[in-house]
Amino acid sequence: MEARSSIEAARAPGGRLDPSRPLVASSPRWGERLIQLSLALCAVISVATTTAIVISLLVPSIGFFGEVSFGDFFSTDDWAPLTADPSFGVLRPVIGTLSVTLWSLMFAIPVGLCSAIYLSEYASPRVRKLVKPILEVLAGVPTVAFGVFAVTFLSPEIGKLFPEFIKTPPFAAGIAGLAVGLLIVPIIASISDDAMKAVPGGLREGAYALGATKLKVATRVVFPAAISGVVASIVLAGSRAVGETMVVLLAAGKTPNLTLDPGASVQTMTAFIGTTATGDVAVGTIAYDTIFAVGALLFVMTFALNIFAIRLVRRFREVYE
Amino acid sequence: MLDKVADRAGKAAGGASGRAKAPGIDVSGVREAGQADRRGSMSKSDRGTIFELRDLTVKYGGTPAVKDVSMEIAAGEITALIGPSGCGKSTLIRCFNRMNDLIPSARVEGSCLYHGQDLYGPEVDPVEVRKRIGMVFQKPNPFPKSIKDNIAFGPKVLGLDDIEGRVERALHGAALWDEVKDRLDENAYSMSGGQQQRLCIARCIAVDPEVILMDEPCSALDPISTGKIEDLMMELKENYSIVIVTHNMQQAARVSDRTAFLIVELDAEERDRWGQLIEYDVTDKIFTNPADSRTEDYVTGKVG
Amino acid sequence: MPNPMAERTRLATAGAHAAVVGNLGKQPRGDVWRGNLFLALLLLAVVLALIGLIALIVQSALKGAPAFSMDLFTEGPSIVNPETAGFRPAIIGSLYLIAGVVLLIVPLGVGAAVYLEEYADGDRWWNRLIELNIQNLAAVPSIIYGILGLAFFVRGPLSLGFVVAAGSLTLALLVLPTVILAAREAIRAVPPSIRDGSLALGATQWQTIRRQVLPASIPGIVTGVILAVSRALGEAAPLLLVGAATFVTADQPNPFEGGYSAMPVQIYNYALQAQDEFKALAAAGVVVMLVVLLALNSFAIWLRNRYEQQW
Repeated sequence: MEARSSIEAARAPGGRLDPSRPLVASSPRWGERLIQLSLALCAVISVATTTAIVISLLVPSIGFFGEVSFGDFFSTDDWAPLTADPSFGVLRPVIGTLSVTLWSLMFAIPVGLCSAIYLSEYASPRVRKLVKPILEVLAGVPTVAFGVFAVTFLSPEIGKLFPEFIKTPPFAAGIAGLAVGLLIVPIIASISDDAMKAVPGGLREGAYALGATKLKVATRVVFPAAISGVVASIVLAGSRAVGETMVVLLAAGKTPNLTLDPGASVQTMTAFIGTTATGDVAVGTIAYDTIFAVGALLFVMTFALNIFAIRLVRRFREVYE
Repeated sequence: MLDKVADRAGKAAGGASGRAKAPGIDVSGVREAGQADRRGSMSKSDRGTIFELRDLTVKYGGTPAVKDVSMEIAAGEITALIGPSGCGKSTLIRCFNRMNDLIPSARVEGSCLYHGQDLYGPEVDPVEVRKRIGMVFQKPNPFPKSIKDNIAFGPKVLGLDDIEGRVERALHGAALWDEVKDRLDENAYSMSGGQQQRLCIARCIAVDPEVILMDEPCSALDPISTGKIEDLMMELKENYSIVIVTHNMQQAARVSDRTAFLIVELDAEERDRWGQLIEYDVTDKIFTNPADSRTEDYVTGKVG
Repeated sequence: MPNPMAERTRLATAGAHAAVVGNLGKQPRGDVWRGNLFLALLLLAVVLALIGLIALIVQSALKGAPAFSMDLFTEGPSIVNPETAGFRPAIIGSLYLIAGVVLLIVPLGVGAAVYLEEYADGDRWWNRLIELNIQNLAAVPSIIYGILGLAFFVRGPLSLGFVVAAGSLTLALLVLPTVILAAREAIRAVPPSIRDGSLALGATQWQTIRRQVLPASIPGIVTGVILAVSRALGEAAPLLLVGAATFVTADQPNPFEGGYSAMPVQIYNYALQAQDEFKALAAAGVVVMLVVLLALNSFAIWLRNRYEQQW
């Protein structure tokens, strides 16, 4: 801010600035520039974060792949990284992750999309105002709570209903998937709802004017028009399920079975990272570096999904906004 | 003073829209005592020139919005910019206090001199420019604060003293004091649209600029509020130079001393369109005896 | 004798009228049926989602009921004696963590948002990169942030060790994108006319931001910060990697020294134990967290709806 005295001095008795005075800044305003610079630095922190993530994954991974060949890592299914005679075929935890993600999406896609259609096309403003915040609250429940819920409620209750279903109680990919599914419903519902709300009203009115029923308008007009947003919501939810840790640690077990069977226990990539990092693996060993190699793979997978989803979301924003 | 306003409204009777205060008056027949010598004195300004534009061109992302405007704006007068929509009159007025700087793709060519200093010179600081040249916008834009804080904001950030006194003087100056003196701490959004716009004028004069730019200040207001703002402009003229953009020809005729008429020009292939200054003269002349037939067509309502 | 022609016309008109009125009154039965079935399906989906939430809350309360006592807040952890086990160090650890998170995310998040909305030229490739980068970071799995914290804060450049400060830094980076996105939205909601009005008075850009834009966007920013805090409070996965240990029995006096614990990690560890009493303890911990988080989130959402400025 400028010094008061210099300003006052430049003003005529009436208070007006002398018009003949040059229009240059009364001070260089270094403070202003310093502020802009520090704000830019705050924004740059996000880039630094990504860089740091990449470095923290890449450096140990390079060490890891110095000892383990790419082929062994990606194309074998012998997975025993912590044993005395270790093997590093990452296929088992990858399949474990896919299994949980698959079962979570099997639940979350129909429930999330139907909720979105209801909210955007059917619900009265009052109902919408009530349900939307509840979904947001659901999104704020900590994941460890879903994990505890899965292992203390879902697993025993479903075990009672289908006694043969869970092979190694209480752990099952399907149970973890169901809990993760509950957790990602709000993602699908809220982004899809936004996408459908963004479809211009004129499109709906045009369809109604042709005599279409509400069902047809919702499913044949609005839904297809919002499809890129809907797909984005599913992809983002999938990315979230792939990266979910606490639920699978508690409910999916630790056995790296090579199966998509919902009743089998599996070890996901995140569960491997979580258990190994909290276990007593010595820093600097190849077993320890496995954490980072698996983490790098996890990061690449979710990164690809996220970028795909972000592009889709941009597209629906560009089309209708 | 009010009757003068009403008189001149008659001269815009040919205008197509807006409120006509004196319908049925023959445009060419209006000749009154005092009018002639006013015009005479106005052909050269009493208080000198504040702005001098030389071949001013403004481009947005490479395409020109106004082209090659040259004109001089006199101090202590009200200068109106009129023309059909898209003729660049708003773009032009935003050059006078460098508000165009806020649009990243905008480029200004030619020169715009303020008391002989080029506003777009390399050393010139837009903040210094705006301290001297205030602006009132199309839609009233009070800050989401109390009435008092709205006015106190300018003097505070400019480091002026006697904030309380300035608030009161500014409200008097904008003919708003009596209406709001008992509710200075209320939110400005509780005021009517016309009051909000006068608050914006008060806010502007609280920092005592030399020039007030008004970009269609009444376009969002009803006729009564518009009348109050016009009366206010006539009073402000004593202390401030005013440039106003208006789409309402009668308003230009009522309040302004000089009028510039711009039109939309199309290139041969009808691809690019830009604004061009057609005629700039004393207001009476523009509305009664324009030199250019396009001006005449516009002010008599044949086009636009 | 009525004119037969007129009679025929009258009948035809009546018939056509009846047909039209009938059509307007009723949709074909199949359409009605299908429409209702579809609506029932949609409602079922909403109910399922809501039941999931309600079941989670009710079940945690029921399951945790036997473990409810003041011991939860006053006792430390144990793996042998569930009767006297509690969450005290975990609660204190979480409070420490969150204090650090707030200190970091408010200036960094708001600063980044102000830069991106008010200063950055969105057409420049580096600004677009920053934007894309923030959107991606918001969706990076939380456990990856744990790896980052382990590599940079616990070991590596900062080498803080397994201390609260490392946990705070990790969680802050994790929720920073949330804060930035929310703050940007709040800043964007302030209409440009407010900025024009301020600049036209001769205020500088920073004066305009500090005195007009930021005050007007505070409710939105606060909402974003609260949502971010509640997310950080509930995160356990990254803390597993940056060393929130379970069996910290003493209260941490120093954020840069000594082991720490956190509420969600403690819940996780109780839930891992085989005995049902520990599972009850975990459920009771979930209830405590849910009460705090639901209160925080509801407040944030209420705040946002309450102060949604109508310009």
